[in-house]
Amino acid sequence: MLALNSIRELRHRPLRTLLTMAGVAVSTAMLADMLMLGGGIQESFGDLLESRGHELRLSPKGTLPFDTEATIPGFESLRDSIDRVPGVARIAPVLAMSVTAEVLDGDPEGGSGEAQTLALGMEPGDASLYRLVDGDLPGPGEVLTDAGLGERLGVGPGGRLRLSTASGLRAWGRSVTVRVSGTGDFVFATARDRPLTVPLSDLQALSALEDQVSFAMIRILEGEDPDSVRDRIAATVQRAEVVTLAGVTEKLDERLSYFTQLAVILGSVSLFVAALLIGTITAVSVSERLGIIAALRAIGVSRRRIVGDLTAESAILCAVGGGIGVALSLVVARYLESILATFPGLPAAVRFFVLRPESLATAFALVVASGAVAGLVPALNATRLEVTALLHREEP
Amino acid sequence: MNPDVVRARRVTRDYRQGRTLIRALRGVSLAVRKGDFLAVTGPSGSGKSTLLHLLGGVDVPTAGEVHFLGRSLASLSVEERAALRLREVGLVFQRFHLLPMLSAIENVELPLAGARVPRRERRERAAAVLERVGLADRLRHRPSELSGGQLQRVAIARALANDPVLVLADEPTGELDRATSRQILALFRELNAAGTTLVVATHDLEFAAGAHRRIEVVDGRIGS
Repeated sequence: MLALNSIRELRHRPLRTLLTMAGVAVSTAMLADMLMLGGGIQESFGDLLESRGHELRLSPKGTLPFDTEATIPGFESLRDSIDRVPGVARIAPVLAMSVTAEVLDGDPEGGSGEAQTLALGMEPGDASLYRLVDGDLPGPGEVLTDAGLGERLGVGPGGRLRLSTASGLRAWGRSVTVRVSGTGDFVFATARDRPLTVPLSDLQALSALEDQVSFAMIRILEGEDPDSVRDRIAATVQRAEVVTLAGVTEKLDERLSYFTQLAVILGSVSLFVAALLIGTITAVSVSERLGIIAALRAIGVSRRRIVGDLTAESAILCAVGGGIGVALSLVVARYLESILATFPGLPAAVRFFVLRPESLATAFALVVASGAVAGLVPALNATRLEVTALLHREEP
Repeated sequence: MNPDVVRARRVTRDYRQGRTLIRALRGVSLAVRKGDFLAVTGPSGSGKSTLLHLLGGVDVPTAGEVHFLGRSLASLSVEERAALRLREVGLVFQRFHLLPMLSAIENVELPLAGARVPRRERRERAAAVLERVGLADRLRHRPSELSGGQLQRVAIARALANDPVLVLADEPTGELDRATSRQILALFRELNAAGTTLVVATHDLEFAAGAHRRIEVVDGRIGS
C-alpha cells in the first residue's frame, strides 16, 4: 500500500519526478559511456590486431609497429634465423614511410592531384594489411592505393603516380613512377592518413633502406602457444623486439591509461551525482512526510516496511531514469565517436566506445544500487526519529 | 468486573528539551477496563497525549510500568510494541494523518496489509468498517475529496480495521466544527456500545461529557 502511495506521489509531482529522472538519466548515460570508453579502445584495437591473422609482431627495440620511423636493419638474415625457429609458419615484413604521391596520369580535376601519405612496402601477394576493393594486387613498379586516397588524389586503377620520399636525409628528393594496380581498404588507415602499398623491394630502393623493414608480422603454426614461440624467437633474435598481440594490447593499455583514468574519474563523479540527487530528493520527500511516517509508526507499521517503501520510491526513480540513461548513452556514444573518429594517429577502424551489454548493465545496476542506498539513508533516519516527538511536532 | 485492557502504575515520563528536563507525567496510575469510554481532559501541555502514547505503547515511561492485556510493555522491543499496536490498538489523530495519494478504502487497508491479511479479505474488511462509520459511498475518494468529518471517519475506520481491543483518540474533534464533532461523538458512543474500549484525549468538554468516565490531567498528574 505504501509503495502504491509512493508511485502515486511520483505521478502527483510530475515536474520534480521528471527532473529527477532526467538527472539520473544524464548521470547513467555519462557512466555507461565512461565504461564503454574505459576499455573500448583497447578492446577494439585488440580485435583489429587479431583480425590480421598474425599472432606475433617483430619491431625495433622499444617500439611498436607504426610507432616510429625506426627500422630493423639486416632483415634478411634475421628472417633466416626466425624461419628456423620451431612453430613459425610465415613472416610478413612491412616497411612504412611517408611519401608524397603526385598524379601523373588520372583525373586530377576529380581530386587534389597530390598528397602526402604513408607508403607501406609489403611483399608481393601479401594483403595482410588491406582488403582488395578494385583491380589487382601490386607487382613490381605498381602501387595499390587506399580507396579514400585514390578518390582524394583523383586516380584509379590504370593511372600513374609519382612517389617521392618526403623525409629522411639519405633519400631526400628521390622519386619513382608507378602504375596504380588497384584500390583497397587499409585496416590501419587513419582519418587523415590514407595509405598506399608498393612492393617492399621498390620502397626499400626508393628510400635507400635496402634490407630494412619497419616491422614484421609473424604467423605461428596451428596449435602453437604464442608466448612459447615468442620466447624462442626472442632467444634467437636480440636486435629486435618480439611481442604477442596481448603484449601489444598491454603496451597500448599503458599508453591509453589517460583515457582509462579519465573514464574512472568521470564515471565516479556521475555515480556520485546520481546518488546525491536521489539522496536529496528522498530527504526532501521524507521531510515532507514526517507526520505521515510518525503516524504510520504509531499505528504499528514496521520500520522495515516504511524504509522499504521509501527506498522503493528512490529505486523507481533510478530504474526509470537509468533505463532512459542507457538509451541516451548510446546516442551520446555515437555522437562522441563521430568526433573522435578523426583522432590523430589512431586507425579509423578503432572504436573509442565499444558497445558491450555488460557496460550498460553495470552502469544501470550501479546507478540503481547507489540511488537505493542514497535513498535508504534519509528513510532510515526518518524511521529512527522518536515517534512521540514527531507526533508532538505535527499535532498542535 | 471487566478485566483491565491496560493498566498504568505510577508512570513518569521525562523529556529533555535542550538542557531543560520536562516532566510530562508525574507518577500517574490508571486502569482502563474492557468496554470503557474514558475521556482525558486537561489544558494544552498537561500530559494528555503523553498518557495516551504510554497507554498505547507508542512510548515507554521513564519510571513506572504499563501492562497491556496483562503484559508489561517494558519487556517488549520497539518492533514488538509496533506489532502489538498494529493488532491490538487503534490510534486516531487530530490531523487524521491519512496518506494523501490513497483512497479511503486503501487507507483503511493499510494496517490490514501490515498485519498480512490477504488482499481480498482486507478489501472486504476495509469496506465493511467504512460502511460502519457511514462512508459506504466514499470508498474510492481520496482525502483531498473528503470533508473534515469524513476524513476523521476514515481515520477512525483505519483505527478499527484490525478490530483492536483499545482505541486511543488524541483530540479527534480538534479540527472539526461543532456539528461534526457531535457526529464523531455519536459514532464513538455507537462503537463503545458495540464493545469497543475507547480512551479519548480532548479539550472539548461537551465531547468529554458524552464519555462514561472522565479524568483530568493537570501538570502531569491526574486531578480528578
